[in-house]
Amino acid sequence: MSAEANAYLTIFLMAAVTYGTRIAGAELMTLIRITPRIEAFLKSMAVSVMVAIVASAVAQSGFRENTATLVAAAVMAVTRSSIAAVTAGMVVAAAWNWLV
Amino acid sequence: MLNAETPKVQLTMAGVMKGAKGLGPISLFTIPFGIAFGTAAIERGVTSDQSIVMSLSVFSAAAQFAALDFWEGPLPAISLLLTVLAVGTRLILMGATLAPWLNRLPRPKRLLALSVLSDVNFADSYSALRRDERDIGRLAGGGLALCTFWVIGTAIGVIAGANLGDLGRFGIDVVMVAFFTSIAVGQWEGLKDILPSIVAAAVAVLGLTLLPPGWNIVLAAVAGGIAGVLWHER
Repeated sequence: MSAEANAYLTIFLMAAVTYGTRIAGAELMTLIRITPRIEAFLKSMAVSVMVAIVASAVAQSGFRENTATLVAAAVMAVTRSSIAAVTAGMVVAAAWNWLV
Repeated sequence: MLNAETPKVQLTMAGVMKGAKGLGPISLFTIPFGIAFGTAAIERGVTSDQSIVMSLSVFSAAAQFAALDFWEGPLPAISLLLTVLAVGTRLILMGATLAPWLNRLPRPKRLLALSVLSDVNFADSYSALRRDERDIGRLAGGGLALCTFWVIGTAIGVIAGANLGDLGRFGIDVVMVAFFTSIAVGQWEGLKDILPSIVAAAVAVLGLTLLPPGWNIVLAAVAGGIAGVLWHER
């Protein structure tokens, strides 16, 4: 299979998996009761995957990027708005380029 | 929450328009995310067409950015798809949270409305439904607005990203990590998340050097999930 076809197959599978996760919650609720144990697993996994991605990035990034990440976390904690948090992170990173 | 006397749940065109208008302004903010994704995708060797098709069909910043980490050489499809799945567990939870209302719609309508489920329109619809607004069109319309601007941003990124020079000037290079950080913090519900987070971070960082690309995230997600169950049942 060519690299091009392989890439599109991968994109198609990504779309299929993501669509599956979009409909799975509602469909599962028609079939089963989500037990507290399953809910604990899903909730912790949802947090963990984000933490894992951030931790990997932090381990491989410099002071500028990690300061921006820390500020984004603080702004999110206060505002509960992803847009505000990301904007704050961008401002820190951009300002760093101008000032440092 | 719901009972037999609950007003009828609907999916109407008027609701779709209302959702699109309501989330329109916020949706504009997905353009810089899209630009960041488009630019990063080109850097990783994804073509322009592939990037735009991906944004249109996958429509998940988290899944798409995560996938870029795997995008080299022969695509490691299994670890990539497992990571997309792990990232998507958020969407499963959101769908389950909306289920008491969604499952009162006929299945085809439900499956259609959920095709554009994302963090932003979930939060918007969930609060609206709890206020007794019963039109799932709000979810669908909001999602369509978000997806439209996400694709537009991606297109700008893949076309102009390289000509904009160093995007670090605008801080666009930190958009992805800041976004993931915000979701992690937003999902944080207190003490019970500490152990899973520590386990996940440790496995992810240790796995960086020990495991093939991407598997550190998959393993960290599962380890964090197990840690959450152990904490829950301690």
